[in-house]
Amino acid sequence: MFLKHIDLTTALRPFYLPDEVLLFVQDNVGLYEGKFKLPNYQNGQVYLTTHRICYVDKEDPRSYSVALELKEVDRYEFYAGFFKSSAKITLIPKPPKRSSVLPSAVSGASHQRNGSSLARSDSPRSNPEQPSATSATWVCTICSFSNPVPSNFDPVTANAHTPLPPCLACGIKPTLAHVLKAAISGANNRAMNAPSFASSYPSLDQSVATPRPLSENLSLDLASGPQTPQNDEDSTFQCPRCTFSNHPSLLSCEICGAPLISRKQSPPDAKSNLNDIRSESPGPVIENPKKTEQGNINVSESVKISFRKGGEKIFYERLKGSMTQRKWLLQDAPPAPTRSRLADEDPSNSSPGRSGKKAAGIAGLEQLGLNMRKNNELIIGSAFEDLEALMASAKDVVALAERLSRQNSSGADAMSAEENKLLAESASQLGLITTKDIVGSGGSSQSLYLSELSRNVAEFLTDDSRGVLKQAGGIITLVDLWAKFNRARGGVELVSPMDFEKAARMWEELKLPVRLRTFRSGVMVVQGLDRTDQATIKALLAWLKDLHEFPPEKEVPWDWQQFGMGVTAQETADRFGWSLGVAEEELLMAEEHGAVCREEGLEGLKFWVNYIDMGDVKPPKSQAQRDQDAIVKALKKSGMI
Amino acid sequence: MAAASTAAAGADAPFRFPREYSFPAFFTRQTNLTTHHAQLSKWSALVLAYARHHRVFRLGLSAAADSDLFYNRRLDRRLGMPDIRELLDFMRRDGRIEYASGGGGDGGGGEGGGGEGDVVFVYWRKPEEWARKIEKYVEETGQKGSVLTVYELGQGEGTRGTDIHGIDNEVLLKALNVLVRKGRAQIFGQDDSQGVKFF
Repeated sequence: MFLKHIDLTTALRPFYLPDEVLLFVQDNVGLYEGKFKLPNYQNGQVYLTTHRICYVDKEDPRSYSVALELKEVDRYEFYAGFFKSSAKITLIPKPPKRSSVLPSAVSGASHQRNGSSLARSDSPRSNPEQPSATSATWVCTICSFSNPVPSNFDPVTANAHTPLPPCLACGIKPTLAHVLKAAISGANNRAMNAPSFASSYPSLDQSVATPRPLSENLSLDLASGPQTPQNDEDSTFQCPRCTFSNHPSLLSCEICGAPLISRKQSPPDAKSNLNDIRSESPGPVIENPKKTEQGNINVSESVKISFRKGGEKIFYERLKGSMTQRKWLLQDAPPAPTRSRLADEDPSNSSPGRSGKKAAGIAGLEQLGLNMRKNNELIIGSAFEDLEALMASAKDVVALAERLSRQNSSGADAMSAEENKLLAESASQLGLITTKDIVGSGGSSQSLYLSELSRNVAEFLTDDSRGVLKQAGGIITLVDLWAKFNRARGGVELVSPMDFEKAARMWEELKLPVRLRTFRSGVMVVQGLDRTDQATIKALLAWLKDLHEFPPEKEVPWDWQQFGMGVTAQETADRFGWSLGVAEEELLMAEEHGAVCREEGLEGLKFWVNYIDMGDVKPPKSQAQRDQDAIVKALKKSGMI
Repeated sequence: MAAASTAAAGADAPFRFPREYSFPAFFTRQTNLTTHHAQLSKWSALVLAYARHHRVFRLGLSAAADSDLFYNRRLDRRLGMPDIRELLDFMRRDGRIEYASGGGGDGGGGEGGGGEGDVVFVYWRKPEEWARKIEKYVEETGQKGSVLTVYELGQGEGTRGTDIHGIDNEVLLKALNVLVRKGRAQIFGQDDSQGVKFF
């Protein structure tokens, strides 16, 4: 399984694949490989989509952002967290090809699960235990009820002190020989069925003849007295239910019968990795993750996502949903066959004249239109039959909606055509919108929503295909943007003005390529980061300078070659493509900087290159001070003070 | 309106207005503080230069507002009355003008024509500067210790050809008072026939 390096949008969100839909976002998460933290991937946001799980790092998003494709995930497990350990979701990859070396954990798990004889090597005692365990039965001599031989009953090690469960029906204990016989015969039956096992019981009789203690745990039994425990103290395994210390090779607790997950499953990899240096607590960190080129990380084990600020439950729910839906299968698949196909064929069959050669003239056009309408009807009809079908035919419906809106726009006046186009395009963007319910819960949910919205708006602004900023001359008032943005959302999940403003204020913090500017009058505008006040002033002055070169349209009493022309806000707005309010504010801003000066006349407020303050006047303080100094000096000279 | 007539008096060569005078925006009050200050400074310089050129000592505001000084007929732009007042305030703080009836404490009489605050003295030379000029003149002509009438100083034959000739009476008195305070002169006599003795 690979953690693939991903590209981010200008707003530092992952680029989505076609048809990919964002389901959930949660911040403050970290990544683990197996049990170990992945360095540099410890504080970021996780984006759950229908296709992937993307991690975007907070500190250095461009270098440390990875995605994990859901199609490579075999299982996922939920861990609710305990004391200081955060809630985690474990993603277990699909097993790799047979040829590759199985990780020890997997082999251990399989060993435990199917109870096969794959890993019989450790101790001779543990060899023949499992196969006989389950299938064999012993018949009670008293009531002739056939009881199962206890699963932990080991015919090899059983002796007189082995505790035997009483008959389930009458409660009389069987003799050891009786149970042994039953167990062996059961094992023989099994061995017949599965010949491979026969070889694994070479010395069954011999081992029966020299029975050995079942396990050292039996020493606890009062009747047994001190046995000779052959294993060390630490090799026992504590039952999670009754805390009885069982022999490590047992599958279920000897006392309560609870299934035991042997420690064997985990220790091997832990030991192998123990050599790594771990500096940080609480979790160990992998020092050298297996990085391939382009920042991909090869993960051989499971990947854990640690949710340090909550959100794991919703994430898990949505992950479950998207794992069941398996949208990625549809990615390149042809659209689901619907009755619309039939609708295409039916009319052609019913009107054989048309199928062969096209009907000519108006009749042909009408026929074409009729067919189209019928087709549309069928698409809509089948789409709304039930929700599943709607999801399946979403592509068709969207396409249809777009077509309809295009038709509308061509019918309406040309002015609104552009806006309608924007509307129609927004349908395809529906999947990418940030809404309050896709972000995680927890303390920071509000700010997370805002930061996501902030990124969303920034993307909307910088999207070249829309050219929102470009159309507005590189600067747009926040109110206009808000209206446009909400319209692009197609009337659903509208953003409140308050949230919008808050989101806009976060651009600077998030280092996005747009910025919010507040003019002196309180008007807030949005512009690209590269458009500073200085740049605007420069543009204004360059334009005003041009007016020195070209003679004005009508006769002016002043020397236009020397002073140029005064410009109104209206003219400025026309020149730069700004809105009138923006032009006014920009001119006032330039005036504030002393670059232009104003003239109020009959023709309204005009702005000129500032020929009044050319820097040849001394600053105010010094002049007054100098005069004062002169007076004081004169007075001193004359002896007045 | 004696002041206005004084203004029209000595116009031999036409006054050369500065460049800004033909700049339309110059006649609008600027809102940017720095620009505004520059504007006031330039206007102040213009008024002083204009007054010096025409040897204007008193300026009647209502008359001046329609004069060339504040009204550029070619551009059809003029400085409004509130702006003129602001300009004069600015100049007063600089010690360059004084309201005729304001009573600066110099002992000058409130006899100027026009309404309250309509007439201002334009100090293209401040009284202290005039005092120095007079002292210099007295010294150069060797009249130290002798007595001169105020009329003699301002309008007499003796001062013809010097800057002092034609000086406004009240401005002259303010200048003499400066000398009095310094102990270099003494004024005596009645209102109309005042004499001054230099030490």
